[in-house]
Amino acid sequence: MFSGLIAFGHSIWSFVTPESLFYVFSSTLVGLIIGALPGLTATMGLALMTTLTLKMEASQALLVLICTYVGAIYGGSRSAILLNIPGTPASAASCLDGYALARQGHAGRAMGIATSGSVLGTLIGMFFLALFTPLLGELALKFGAYEFFWLTVFGVVISGTLTGDDPLKGWMAGFLGLFVAGIGQESIYAYERFTFGYRDLAGGIQLVPALVGAFGFAELLSVMKERQLPVKINPFDTVIPKLADITRHWKTILRSGCIGTFIGIVPGVGEDVAAWSSYAAAKRASKEPELFGKGSIDGLMAAETGDNACVPGAVIPVLTLAIPGSAPAAVLMAAMLIHGVQPGPMIMVQSPQFVYDVVAMMMFATIGILFYGLTLTKLMIRVLQVPQTVMVPIILVLCAVGSFAIAGRLFDIWVMLGFGILGFILRQLNYPMAPLVLGIVLGDLLEKSLRRGLVLSDGNLEPFLMRPIAMVMWLSIVIIIAMRFEFVRALPGKFRALVFSKP
Amino acid sequence: MIADEGIEDKVSPRADFISALVWMAFGLSVVIACWRMDRLEAQGATFYTVPGLVPGILGAVMFLLGMFLAIRAGRAGGHRLGATPWVMTSGGRAAAIRVGWVLVMSLVYAAGMVGHRGIPFWLATFLFVSVFILLFDWTERSAKGETAKGAAIALVYGAGTAFLVTYVFQEVFLVRLP
Repeated sequence: MFSGLIAFGHSIWSFVTPESLFYVFSSTLVGLIIGALPGLTATMGLALMTTLTLKMEASQALLVLICTYVGAIYGGSRSAILLNIPGTPASAASCLDGYALARQGHAGRAMGIATSGSVLGTLIGMFFLALFTPLLGELALKFGAYEFFWLTVFGVVISGTLTGDDPLKGWMAGFLGLFVAGIGQESIYAYERFTFGYRDLAGGIQLVPALVGAFGFAELLSVMKERQLPVKINPFDTVIPKLADITRHWKTILRSGCIGTFIGIVPGVGEDVAAWSSYAAAKRASKEPELFGKGSIDGLMAAETGDNACVPGAVIPVLTLAIPGSAPAAVLMAAMLIHGVQPGPMIMVQSPQFVYDVVAMMMFATIGILFYGLTLTKLMIRVLQVPQTVMVPIILVLCAVGSFAIAGRLFDIWVMLGFGILGFILRQLNYPMAPLVLGIVLGDLLEKSLRRGLVLSDGNLEPFLMRPIAMVMWLSIVIIIAMRFEFVRALPGKFRALVFSKP
Repeated sequence: MIADEGIEDKVSPRADFISALVWMAFGLSVVIACWRMDRLEAQGATFYTVPGLVPGILGAVMFLLGMFLAIRAGRAGGHRLGATPWVMTSGGRAAAIRVGWVLVMSLVYAAGMVGHRGIPFWLATFLFVSVFILLFDWTERSAKGETAKGAAIALVYGAGTAFLVTYVFQEVFLVRLP
């Protein structure tokens, strides 16, 4: 335990330099603006920042990205409270009570609650990040090809089930993503699949342009569908959080922090599910559930704590399993690989200090959001008043630049456009994007694991089904799918009626 | 995508049924393409390492899932393609026009101008941003009699974006631009 604390202290000290502190505060501010602006998602913002940090040293680049990530998830609360428009999907739950409080003349108090919830949520998540990463890393060392195969399938299935409101469409998006990952040269014989003679496709579809397209360009097309209404911001006074709001709702904060972190660990689910789950749990536990949706402090605190706790949670599987816990975490993982950091089960063996560096980065990001949460109001109001017709073309330019810069290929801009159009069409048909992106990330791992497993077992499926961890995973997949059927969901009730009914 | 409820978010069973057919066609064509792929026996490939194995399985899964969606949409009446007229509300038409314009301009900029035909990136960006803002603000500006002001603002934003993006990415962060 003490060696961990010493390593953590070393990490904090290494970031206390003028250059690092400049990156912390500037990237947190950029993240805040990205999060506050509807039309700019955290995923897209991170993808663009990945481009900007290409030439930076790995630890500085990741510091910038983590601060942007934390800032973006927090920043969404600003537009949620002031405009009733979630800046990011993660802040949708905050709209319900945040905007209601603003209409009652308590916008300042609502922003103070959002700040305190976000700060405390990130700190709770940070604690679990430091605690669970070594433990999960230890467990991950027992994973073989068979376990990784089921883990990738589990990730796609759970992501499809929990994101959006139609699991069938979520699974379809996920399997499409797995397929897209296979385009190009396959890993054993370099045989080109589905390239149709295009040399650029031989290298496959790069993750960052696909992400920028699906989350950036598609989002801009969705935003431009509706004509922007005049922005009206309710007046507010101080945004300093009240200590009473924190102490009175400590149970909600702890509960939401835990829920947010654990949802973050689940592959591909993300901050919006964490916020809604925390909100729903707080409403169930509340003595005044009728106030939820009408300006409940508990509701807003739960949503903001949950979504920010999800950020460190989503980084846990990135570090230990090389599987992202959310779409922005997928970008973070791509950035790690670009900068030569190899996430996965060996991270605690090869570079344990890096894990503590990430925890320290989260801590600095938390200081950043606390600072801006207390001081930055007038600038945020100006940012929220930027017209859509000005913001959209500028972001589009950044999408093109961001896609091009990773590998210097015009082809990647085409990929961005293609995924943007596909993403827009799928969204109109109510298909969630997160499973699609997770599928693209996990496709390569799925294929390698399946092929390796089959070669090792010489086609025998028994190791896939009988090894303990693999068995837990495929049984979980079967249960998740079975629970979608009415007759399966009705079974516990029928069983109870059968056992406890009076003769 | 044209939806017969205009700009409402709800997806109609008809749209689901058509998309399910597309999924099934796509899944089936993937399976067929994988079946026809070289088995690479000459390079020592076995059944478990043939290139078409995993994409073929994924294609089959997508076909099955598409079939389930088609059945579900069919049960909700989605298979009756001619049951209700294919009509778009005026709101839906306006939204489709806006999205169409954004798409056309984005394609012209990102796929047509950037990196092509000797057009410098800063010029392409300046033209794109200025024209975009001018076009989408035109109605509001002309209603207020501020077309000259609107044009000037659009040009300023265009020039500012072109300069800042080029300078920040190329000079400050040393990132190559198209």
